[in-house]
Order: sequence, then structure tokens, then C-alpha cells
Amino acid sequence: MKVILLRFGELYLKGHNRNIFENTLIQNIKNSLTGETFSFSKTFGRYVISDYDEKRQDEIVSKLKKVFGLYSLSIAEEVDAQLETIKQVVSNIKIGKQSFKVFVKRADKTFPLSSMELARELGGVVLDNNNESTVDLYNPQREIYVDIRLNHKAYIFDEIIKCQGGLPLGTSGKGLLLLSGGIDSPVAGYLMAKRGMTLEALHFHSYPYTSEQARDKVIELARLLCEYVGEIKLHIVSFARVQEEIHKRCKSEFMITIMRRIMMRVAERLCKANNLGAIITGESLGQVASQTMQSMTVTGNVVKELPVFRPCIAMDKEDIIAVSKDIDTYETSILPYEDCCTVFLPKNPVIKPTIKQAEQEESYLNIDSLVEECINREEVITIRKDS
Amino acid sequence: MIYLDNAATTKMLEGAVDVYAKYACQSFFNPSAGYNKAINIAKDLERVRNIILNKLGAKGDVIFTSGATESNNLAIFGSKRNGKWEYVFSEGEHPSVYNVAKELESQGFIVHFIGLRKDGQIDYEQLESVLNEKTRLISTMHVSNETGAINDLHLIDKIRQKKCPKALLHIDGVQAFCKLEYNITDYNIDLYTISGHKFCGPKGVGALFVKNISSLKNTVFGGGQEGGYRSGTENVPAIMAMGYAIEHYNTKENYSKVESLKEAFLAEIRKEDKIDTIEGDSPYIVGLNLKGVNGETIMRALQDEDILVGIGSACSTKKAGNRVLNSIGYNLNEIKSHIRISFIADLTIDEAKFAGKKIVEIYNRIWENVK
Repeated sequence: MKVILLRFGELYLKGHNRNIFENTLIQNIKNSLTGETFSFSKTFGRYVISDYDEKRQDEIVSKLKKVFGLYSLSIAEEVDAQLETIKQVVSNIKIGKQSFKVFVKRADKTFPLSSMELARELGGVVLDNNNESTVDLYNPQREIYVDIRLNHKAYIFDEIIKCQGGLPLGTSGKGLLLLSGGIDSPVAGYLMAKRGMTLEALHFHSYPYTSEQARDKVIELARLLCEYVGEIKLHIVSFARVQEEIHKRCKSEFMITIMRRIMMRVAERLCKANNLGAIITGESLGQVASQTMQSMTVTGNVVKELPVFRPCIAMDKEDIIAVSKDIDTYETSILPYEDCCTVFLPKNPVIKPTIKQAEQEESYLNIDSLVEECINREEVITIRKDS
Repeated sequence: MIYLDNAATTKMLEGAVDVYAKYACQSFFNPSAGYNKAINIAKDLERVRNIILNKLGAKGDVIFTSGATESNNLAIFGSKRNGKWEYVFSEGEHPSVYNVAKELESQGFIVHFIGLRKDGQIDYEQLESVLNEKTRLISTMHVSNETGAINDLHLIDKIRQKKCPKALLHIDGVQAFCKLEYNITDYNIDLYTISGHKFCGPKGVGALFVKNISSLKNTVFGGGQEGGYRSGTENVPAIMAMGYAIEHYNTKENYSKVESLKEAFLAEIRKEDKIDTIEGDSPYIVGLNLKGVNGETIMRALQDEDILVGIGSACSTKKAGNRVLNSIGYNLNEIKSHIRISFIADLTIDEAKFAGKKIVEIYNRIWENVK
């Protein structure tokens, strides 16, 4: 019987909490396959998806590849763990002239042959059926795996497909992702979700300085992230008034610094109101003036009670782009609509602001009422994978 | 709503909608069929051909197409000949000519692009300098969709007669047809493009006038409709509705009405010194340069007041800026702060004034915030 064999990674490490992690992972796997017919079963250390529509195998695999906490998967032939049956399956493997190696794992120690013995035996079967092939233990062109599990079943497969890894979504709390529309912030959200964090997102738009398309683009980015996180509550806040006020009253080089401090304040307020435990940003050290160590000190300083997670902080732009291409957000991120940070962009933004300077500039503003106005103008959209 | 983007498209006349419906639901027959009901449709199409010829003041053939893009493609590719011929275009052309020219160039043909003068018309001296006995085709527009500049077709013809009398002259008349009074025989035009939805007809229909059909080669093959030059069943409802729109467009009266609309509008705009106006020769199109403010921002703030204006093609080619404005000497900031106003005769003077006032008001409000 054809099955999909699923392997999970770090769950082993989770001691007493293992049940919570495992139950969440199983639920997430089942949710990811909503709409597909399948059976799910557990054998020690593996999950098995069976009785699925083989015509939909590619779609099912691609869905499973987006489930955080799964380490790898294989399309396998499941048979009773009896030598003759296993040999029968292996005899059907056609590899032509390619060299090969048989890997045997034997969790079921009651199986009469040792791993080495079985590998040798099966290698013979492959050679018998592929005259021109050779065994190569060090650099084989093809790999054949036989995995004998404690349920007295053997799984025979020839490929290990890498999955996301990470931790099951929902096991690491909820965070608020600041989603700008650029390349970095969706990647930041993805990376935190991969560590098990559920996401809500916050977008600041600057209509009429920015367009409806810029807003639609952010909604689309959130939807693309939903491929991994299922659902995102997107908070959209109009920021034009705040920018106009800063532009009018503060030194132009502090525009971005003060803007981001106000964004952080709004974010923390929304976190509290929505029971979210962290703020997530796409900042990467030194990428732009507002992402220097000093700038982040000054913007982070207004967040009083929550951690600010910046998972891209040590990544090069190229690496961030590579992830964004992997998760399919890149093409949307590079659509050329101005975001709110580019509208009032000063010529020479301050690179090393201090908290004192920022507070001085902010003394010309009524910060509380500006934050309040943002909160009052908040619009919330719930975005789902298939919406 | 005050709609001031009529160079982009216009609202269909209600009568044209009725005609469309009639030919879609009652007289829906295929004009190539043999029964009388169908033969009558073919006759109706002939009537629209004559309406177009009369409006152009010309004798020749009219090929119905899906719009200006197809007409321009047919005119240019249909005139193309093997051998060392040269093709001449201007920098101010609409993408449906400009990108065809670029394609010709990439296929290895010799293509010349004439620059624009400050007033938006083509550089006639440069035109004269590139034309020679090898010139096969000169293709340029009648009225610029970006600036409203009207090219001097008389002069272009004169230069052609002097330098290359055998060359074909194709004019993209999309922003001129119905709107200006002229007679294309005065300019010896060989090919002339029109588009239905710019004069209150339907979208998806247009035509190419051809003075001498033997000068054109076929580019689309199929059932042989339109004399073989545009195979495919004719879009009868749209063609008939376009014919209705042409017949009901009072060129002279509308022109003077639009002139007074433009004046009333500009009288308000001129109250603000920081706004420059770019007035082409056609009263239908006016450019505004809103110093220090992004034109897109104004466009969006105006839409909240239910006033719709154009920003040309500036938004789609952000990095390159706007080719046409760039070519008449605008810098990137000027291009960014440009909006395009295009009128239609059924606006009222009060609406034009109101829109002018609102633009000044919104401009000042935003300028205060971003200065």
C-alpha cells in the first residue's frame, strides 16, 4: 500500500510538554489536509498518511511541506515486515545502469535479520533485477531505504523529502508582525511562525500618499503567509496624519525615527488589546538608517513590556530574498507601490539617534493623542489561506 | 462624480448602448451569412464605414478592428516591407505605436525616433533631417494624449513630399477624431487610426482608414473578413454603436463648449501660483504641474471628493519616469507632480469651476503638510 511517511524533529526534546507539541502537530497536519481524503496513524517516531487519492499526491505533499514541525517525508510502499514480501517490493525497483546503496533501519528488533544482513540480501535482489547496475556504498546515484517499524510493518522508499522543520504552529504563543509590504517583513513573520508562533499582523498605510494598490499588496502578502499559518488577523492603521504632524513639527532627519517609535507604541497597544505576546519586525542590522543598532535602541525603547523579535537581524539581504522566494512572497513584495516609509523619506535620516534626541523631538508632538487616533482608526481584516 | 479623465476613456452615449443592445440581441446575425437578415447587417456595417469616411473627409477603405492598438499594429506591420527601408516615429507616441516601433527595431529594421519640441509637437527639423528616399513609413500622432499638443500634419506632409513622396504617412488620430474639425485629404494621409471609446462609443472597437489598400499587407489570417485584412467575425454591436456615437458627436459645438470649460477651469487653477499649467493646442487636454506634491497623492485625494483625474502613464513606469513628458524636457520631479485633466462637452461650467477650486484647495492642504 502506498503511504506518506512523516518524520518530526525537535519534539523529542520537549519532555513533559511532548504531548502538547505532538497533539498540536497532529492537529496541524490534519488541518493542512482539509478537503483531502486520507487516514492518519501513528507508529513510534513516525506518522503515516494512507488511503489518500494518489492522483492528488503532489498536492498533498506540497501541503504537508508547509506544516511546521515536520522534518521530512517519504512516499513509501508499506508492507508486512516479512523478508519475502520486502524482497518482492524491492525486486520491482528499476534503476538501469545507476549505482545504488540499500539503507536499512530496523526499529523492530524481532525481525530475524540484522540491518546489515537485510541490506546485503536486498542489494542482491536489486542486482538480480538490474543487470547493469552496481553497488556503491560511498557515492551511490540512487538510494533505497527500508525502514522496519515497531508496528511490524516495513516501509520501502527511495527519497527523503525535506520539510519545514521548526516547531508546530501554536506552541510558541502569538505575536504581532509589523507588515510593511517590503521583502523582509513577510520573511520575519514566516521565521517566527516556523518557531511555532501564531501571527497577527499590523500594517500602516498612508492614504492618500500611498495607494489602494499598496494596501492590497499587503493583504496579498498576508494571504501568502496564510499558506503557512492558516489565518491572519490583519490590523490596518492609517498613518498619514501622524506623518504630517512629524513632518511639520520635527527635524526632518528624525522623521523615520519618530515614525517608528509611534508605530511601536501603536503595536504594543494592539498587542495588549489582542492578547499578543511579542512584536515582530523585519529589521536587519545596518540595512538602512533606521536599522542601525542605535536606531533600534531608540525605537525599541518605547516598548515597555513586550519583547521585540527581529528574526532577520543577522541575515544578509540576499539570504532574506532567498527565503522570500522560497515562501513565494518575493514577487508580491517587489511590486512597485510606495509604502508609508518612502513617502516622507528625508534626504539624510539620522543614523545614530539617541533616546534623548528622540524624546526632545517628540516633545513637539502630542504623542498620546496621535497613538490614540491610530488605534481609533484601526481596521481589522481576517485573512485565510483560501480567501 | 466629476470625471476629468476623458482622454483615458469616455462614458458611452445611452443611444449607443441601445444600438449595441439591438445588434447584440435582435439583429445579431453574422454579416457573412447568406440570408437576407445577415446581408442587411453587412449593409449596416457599410453605412458605418461611410460615416467614418465622411467624418474624415476622405475616400478609401475602412477596416474595423478591436481598437487603436490593433489599428496601429496593422498600419505599421502591414506597411512593413523587406529590404533596406526605414521607418520613422516620434518619442511622443502612445505605447501602441512606440512599442511596435521598438519591435521593428529589434527585428533589425532601421527605425528613427524624432524628438519632441518644448510645446509637445514633434521636432520638424529633425524629421526633415532623417527622411530620405528609403523612408517607407512615417507614423506619428495627431493629438498627444499626454499634452494635447497637435502636430502640424500639413507641415509633416510637406516635408514628406519634399524628401520622400513615396513614403506612407500613418497618423494615430485617437485623441483627434470627432474632437477636432479637419479633413485628412488635406494632408494626404495614407493610414489613420481611430478608437471607439474615446468619443462616447464602446470599448473594444476601432478602425483603420486606408487610402490605398494595395499599400497594406495582411497580418492576420482566417476567414477573410474586412477584405482579408482583419479576419474574424465583425464585432457588429460595437461597430454599430461606434457609428451612432460618431453621428451624434457634434464636433464644432463640443469644441467650443470644451474651450469654455477649459477656460473656466483654468481661471480657478491660475489663482494658485505654485501650479503650472501645460496647455496643448487641443482644449480637450490640459496638464497641471503641482509643484512639490506627488500627482498621485492629489489624484487619490481628489477621488475622495468624487473628482477623477489622470496621471498619464507616470505610475506604471515609475523608474523611467514618463517617456513623453521626459522627452519635452521635464525632470523626474516635474513628472511626478504632473496630473492630466481631460474634458468632455457634457460637463457644466460649474462643475469645471468646482473641480478647479477643489484641486487648488486639496493641493494647498497637502502642500502645507509636505512642504
